[in-house]
Amino acid sequence: MTGEVVVTGIGAVTCHGGGTDTLWRAMTAARIRRPDEPADPLAVMDLPRINLVPDPDLRAARATRFAVAAAREALADAGLTGLSEAAVVLGSCMGEPGPNERERGGDRWTAPFRLASATATRLGLAGVAHDVGNACSAGGYALGMAYDMVRAGEADVVLAGGSDAYSRVALGCFNRLGAVDPDRCRPFETDRSGTVFAEGAGILVVESAAHAAARGATAPLTLAGSGWSCDAGHVTAPHADGEQIVRAMREAVGPAGGATAIGCVIPHGTGTRLGDEVESQALHRVFGERTPDVPLYSLKALLGHAGGASAALGAVAGALILRDGHVPRNVPLREQDPGCDVWLPQRAPVPLPRDRRRVLVNAYGFGGSNSSLVLEGAAA
Amino acid sequence: MSRMHVVVTGLGTAVRGLGNPGELLGDRRPGGVPADPVERLTGRGLRYKDRATKLAMVAGEEALAAAGLIGADGAPTVPGESVGTVVSTNFGNVDTVCETVATIARDTYLGTSPMLLPATSSNVVASWLAITHGLRGANLTLCNGRTSGLDAVNWARLLVGSGRVERVLVVGVEPDNPAVRHLAPEQDEFFDGAAALVLESAASAAARGVRPLAELGPYARRAEHTRAVADVREREPRAVGLWCVPEHPEGIRAPGASLGPGPVGGVRDLSELLGPSSGALGVLQCVAGTAWLAGAAPDGADDVVLASAGTGDTGRDDAAAALILTPARSA
Repeated sequence: MTGEVVVTGIGAVTCHGGGTDTLWRAMTAARIRRPDEPADPLAVMDLPRINLVPDPDLRAARATRFAVAAAREALADAGLTGLSEAAVVLGSCMGEPGPNERERGGDRWTAPFRLASATATRLGLAGVAHDVGNACSAGGYALGMAYDMVRAGEADVVLAGGSDAYSRVALGCFNRLGAVDPDRCRPFETDRSGTVFAEGAGILVVESAAHAAARGATAPLTLAGSGWSCDAGHVTAPHADGEQIVRAMREAVGPAGGATAIGCVIPHGTGTRLGDEVESQALHRVFGERTPDVPLYSLKALLGHAGGASAALGAVAGALILRDGHVPRNVPLREQDPGCDVWLPQRAPVPLPRDRRRVLVNAYGFGGSNSSLVLEGAAA
Repeated sequence: MSRMHVVVTGLGTAVRGLGNPGELLGDRRPGGVPADPVERLTGRGLRYKDRATKLAMVAGEEALAAAGLIGADGAPTVPGESVGTVVSTNFGNVDTVCETVATIARDTYLGTSPMLLPATSSNVVASWLAITHGLRGANLTLCNGRTSGLDAVNWARLLVGSGRVERVLVVGVEPDNPAVRHLAPEQDEFFDGAAALVLESAASAAARGVRPLAELGPYARRAEHTRAVADVREREPRAVGLWCVPEHPEGIRAPGASLGPGPVGGVRDLSELLGPSSGALGVLQCVAGTAWLAGAAPDGADDVVLASAGTGDTGRDDAAAALILTPARSA
């Protein structure tokens, strides 16, 4: 497989609203956002906390709605508004849960994983449609699949990313597992006690460099690497040795020297005690002595954990960082866990050095499903 | 597209009444009250695995063993990092999800079992396959509707061609349970089973001294069934010896000229034989096709197997996929 793979458009829907401009404003403001409580009378649980997209209709097919909105923005950003043929690859934890969870369940069920084909249909796109059910790493897998498809010559343009919406089942399960933080999503903080889910969608236009050049797309970002692995250890917990997440990162950053060109990491860091520690230690193994100089941007502290959309939103955030040339300061930490010895800039944005215009995005899911990808900015 | 030759080296099935993959070529529907294939599983933790996971584990283990990738203890005989997993299922864990919706509505979240909750995760089948056999390569779950099985087989090829892994276990699985029946009230028959195959590069099979059973030929996924079939036939024009057709194939006609003289092995409608098999169909077709090439094809014939799934805009599907299997070359 050969050929450069570029990213020519990005789109996002988050708890801060629609659009990448909105996301960037939230990233640069770095304000704390308290979780919402869904207006769902059946969400009877101790901690019904989730960061909702500001769209009051909880009965709608929200995951599809978010994906379509983000895809439209990405296509417009790429200058591909008249497109009629493109592949669509979407990852999700829960697919489209809305119709199946509207009431008490059991009246009428629909297959939940039709996000990709539904999005393609709404956008009038003919082409391959893949629905990826890789739990919380699904968006990262979707982007890696787009990378493989373009390199293999199976597609010139792929709309890839992820989308997840409020699911009573997911929220109930995390309550039952005692994995919801009662305050908010606080990755890498000393007294964190779980995650807080979020709704959202992130979509990227992934394109062959030749196709982008032929239509005059300028200064694109490059999807420079993708790594996948599986812990094959436990169905919910990450393997404590971090061996497989190290392998995914190393595969994504490339052979010797690849890690030295990384200027920012958007970690998976969800706020679970073990997950944040294992990832922090794994970063030390990948970056070695450079680790204290590699800034992390903890996107979930700003957005919450958007499940199968989280890696795609991480990639969108990475693209925004590369376009701007600065890593924004993080949402303030009360106290950083000494067991998570990584650099989370708190006071001011950190400029990306010219020789480190690369962002590494990590995403991990149940079953030890690991993905890492690298975005590279155009030469400054 | 990668020019790497990717071959099939192991097959497995978990279908009630089906003794081995070759029986997919028979005309007789599995009858009587044969043993449930999941009864072959032993060990702890089965109580908390859903039916799709158990079916996939049976078929997956059979395929891995047939390919020589696991020993008697189920552990891999090659580095676990070199083996990926691709699962195709549209309804895999829908029973757990539906049950959880109902339980939360009835008893709040406190009525749910923490042991069952991991099974609400969409990738639970692929996760357990990897955990059971230490498969640490790429682990992918596809839910693409009726083309999903053939898409999964092609993704296995891409994973090998891209260098992500050296071998891939592909499993297509659909369970029959009340939740699935609720999803498709118009159906009166349901497939309940799994099919599995191991794919790897021809070089990898040769290095391991394993005899390839078949080789993957061209694949295409298009909006129309006719286009998908025409596309693969253009790239592989040898005579079709066996054609495995999509679900509800009425109205489906592959372009006559592109099929060559009528398939000597006939036209197989596995959904007619076993029930509509949704995301498992493409994998079932490839298992049946490989069994035909490896055993039932006429001696000396150079015929290929055509598998097509999804009827595209001819029927009720949003797409159609076609894939060709060819006889394995001599090493």
